[in-house]
Amino acid sequence: MSTMKINGQQLESMLKNGLNNLLCHREEVNKLNVFPVADGDTGTNMSLTLGHGLSSAPSKFEAGPYLKSVSDGMLLGARGNSGVILSQLFKGLYLELARCGWISPAQLRNALIRSYKTAYASVIHPVEGTILTVAREGIEHIRFQLTRQTAMEEFLSMYVAEMRKSLSFTPELLPVLKESGVIDSGAYGYILIFEGMLDKLYGKEHKAETEEAAAAVIGPVAPEPADLHLFNENSVFEEGYCMEFILQLLKNENYTQRFVLRQYIDDLKLYGKSLVVVQDGRRVKVHIHTFKPAKVITLSQEFGEFLTFKLENMQLQHNEVLQGAAEPSGHKELSVIAAVNGDGMEKTFRDLGCDVVINCAETLNASTEDFIRALGKVSADKIVILPNNKNVVMAADQAIRLSEVKNAEVLPTKSPAEGYFALAMDIQDSADTDLRVKQMRNGMKSTVTLTESVATKDYKNGGISCKAGEEIVLLNGRLVAASTDWCDCIISGLKAVDGIEDVESCVIFRGDGVPDEHEAILGERLSEAFPLLEVTFVYGGQSVYRFMIGISE
Amino acid sequence: MSNFAIMADGTCDLTKELAEKYGIIIVPGHLVFPGNNEMRAFLDWNTVPRDEFYADLKKRPDEYSTSPANVEEFAEAMEGPASEGKDIVLMTISSSMSGAYNFALQAKNVITAKYNVKITVIDSMRFGPGFGLMAIHASLQRDRGKSVEEVAAWVEENKNRFHQAGWLDDLSFVAKKGRLTHAKAFFGALAGVKPIGEFDYNGMTTVIGKAKGAKKAYAALLSYIEGTIEDPQDQVIFIAQTNRLPQAEEYKKLIEERLHPKAVYIKDVYPSCGINVGPGLMAAYYVGKPISKDLSFEKELLNKYLEAKE
Repeated sequence: MSTMKINGQQLESMLKNGLNNLLCHREEVNKLNVFPVADGDTGTNMSLTLGHGLSSAPSKFEAGPYLKSVSDGMLLGARGNSGVILSQLFKGLYLELARCGWISPAQLRNALIRSYKTAYASVIHPVEGTILTVAREGIEHIRFQLTRQTAMEEFLSMYVAEMRKSLSFTPELLPVLKESGVIDSGAYGYILIFEGMLDKLYGKEHKAETEEAAAAVIGPVAPEPADLHLFNENSVFEEGYCMEFILQLLKNENYTQRFVLRQYIDDLKLYGKSLVVVQDGRRVKVHIHTFKPAKVITLSQEFGEFLTFKLENMQLQHNEVLQGAAEPSGHKELSVIAAVNGDGMEKTFRDLGCDVVINCAETLNASTEDFIRALGKVSADKIVILPNNKNVVMAADQAIRLSEVKNAEVLPTKSPAEGYFALAMDIQDSADTDLRVKQMRNGMKSTVTLTESVATKDYKNGGISCKAGEEIVLLNGRLVAASTDWCDCIISGLKAVDGIEDVESCVIFRGDGVPDEHEAILGERLSEAFPLLEVTFVYGGQSVYRFMIGISE
Repeated sequence: MSNFAIMADGTCDLTKELAEKYGIIIVPGHLVFPGNNEMRAFLDWNTVPRDEFYADLKKRPDEYSTSPANVEEFAEAMEGPASEGKDIVLMTISSSMSGAYNFALQAKNVITAKYNVKITVIDSMRFGPGFGLMAIHASLQRDRGKSVEEVAAWVEENKNRFHQAGWLDDLSFVAKKGRLTHAKAFFGALAGVKPIGEFDYNGMTTVIGKAKGAKKAYAALLSYIEGTIEDPQDQVIFIAQTNRLPQAEEYKKLIEERLHPKAVYIKDVYPSCGINVGPGLMAAYYVGKPISKDLSFEKELLNKYLEAKE
């Protein structure tokens, strides 16, 4: 059996098989973690990203347009560093194949070249020994072996085999992998996708195992149903509707043919705010908050019809929010969006004046879409985003690009502890926005993050080793202390911080399930060991890390 | 001896000794302590020891509250000097923080209808030891033989020169009571970050900078005082503290070494102000250059020092 070209429907079934293959190995990918901490989530992030792309793409016979919807969905749903890079790889594929109804092996080869180039270009400092290397070498090593007779099966087999080979070398390129005795997780995940695609051509189907895994294929987790009682006959309607739709511009004579994006945006502005409009060829994705949905619909139907449509009563959401924590309202000079890892952190960040807090307690990393949604919620002259992880910085950057918000900036905070100090140093009642951003930058600067958790495996690095089950402390992600006693472990972890004797500012987030008496025990030990340190304990509610400690000079 | 009275409401935090020494008549307000115990305000720690008060306040801030002396009580207090035919200069806590100023104005109408005396009520635009320092300066002007009109005019003209240089590191409290600053309740615990507050044009305090840790704060504050104070060698500087005595002592030492003022006194903040300030205040009060309308000069100055490398 040899396939010489594939269409959109075949591609769809191949990609689904690829995703299922990834899902079957998701935990395995997650565990390919450099550090002995149970926070590996590459497999989850990649499957959520691809899953979002597949679920948001309607089936199409033509391969190019289908791939385009998949790519668009992935850009929006990208989670984590690996997810963002994966979405960029797919963006490169569709850029090359956009006009193809059928894809031949030669076209796929060209697309895979463009794919890795697009991904490299999107990363500020590409690191070798990762998914990027594997995607590049996989295709570069076989690009000249392709002949007119090479079938898709053969071509993909070569591609996967080359990538496997490349993957086995990743530890040579990336010292952290070698020290930890693992291969690169993102690269492995990427290969699993293509392996699944290849298997489909050979008729071998993969089934996602768990229900949870199946949910990832269906798409992002549906929001909790709103409590409809919160909007009733006595309610005041002050918030309007949140509308989101994808408009398909149509060619037949019943529709106005001249669609000018600028003009359309200007017209929409008359009907609402928090407007985000993204045009992709003949499709327009719109997000708007409006009191006049009918006007928006009428205007849009002049040009085409809706592919998807969502209308939400924001008063209902607002009332729900009033019951919980406050959401931002009205236009501000400066709005802050932050991602955190627990309910306690969420509350603390709100108290510190953060307008939108994305709580990624479950997934650890906020997605591009999370940030786009957050950006839609605020209206301000200047918006600052505080990520909770270095893997989230790219997702936040991508969100700014996609939502075309001009006045947003990512302060690259690498942990909620850095975000905390950015907010603590902010002068919230100052009208001087530049000063406030400077203060936040200053807060983030010279902050180090220590995390205390239980080792998930034996590990050795730079003269320090730990056994699975021992308490360990990581300093900015590097193992600095291991002990059977958590308190000792934290004290010796802190001693690894340069100039700790002179540091005065310290925040400690207590994790989910850690008894609160531990604060007093730790507090006492800390004041003995570091008398100058002013420690503030905050319930963080984060998982994985029993304590997250921010030290700021 | 002076022929007119200087009066101040009880939020000036002047102890009995100081009030007697400078001939200042204090009009105490009211306090509500847990269990709905209402009482006239006091300026000593006889009713409750300082540390015990602040510890309990921190635990249940909502059960404490304050209110100014009412019109009748202000009138009653004014009646003493007025009945002796003495004119009065009466200073109140910043009208942005309390209704005392308005009550005193009404009391003035009651008394001037009854006695042929001149009463000037002045909104100090300050609170606590900053306000107390201003009352002492009014008394010193009187000692120099200034008339009641001259002293009142001096205070009006110079009140904007009374500075606060220090921090309030437990803003959760201030936010809850809503008295001291404009800021809404968006302050959590601050993990050693010191928000530095100065008096603003509206008679409240505004955060003009933040320092990471006490050492950086001291360094910037000393330079800030040096850049705003006038004739430090002739001044008495007050340091107010609520539950921050060790830091206040350190600050006192540093100020003495650097600026050589006539004296530095560490002053307590008594419950009338303390209930609204909460623990965490550590600030110096002194007379200096007039404070700019939008605090732009002060902000720039302080931030210059905050950014400087030690």
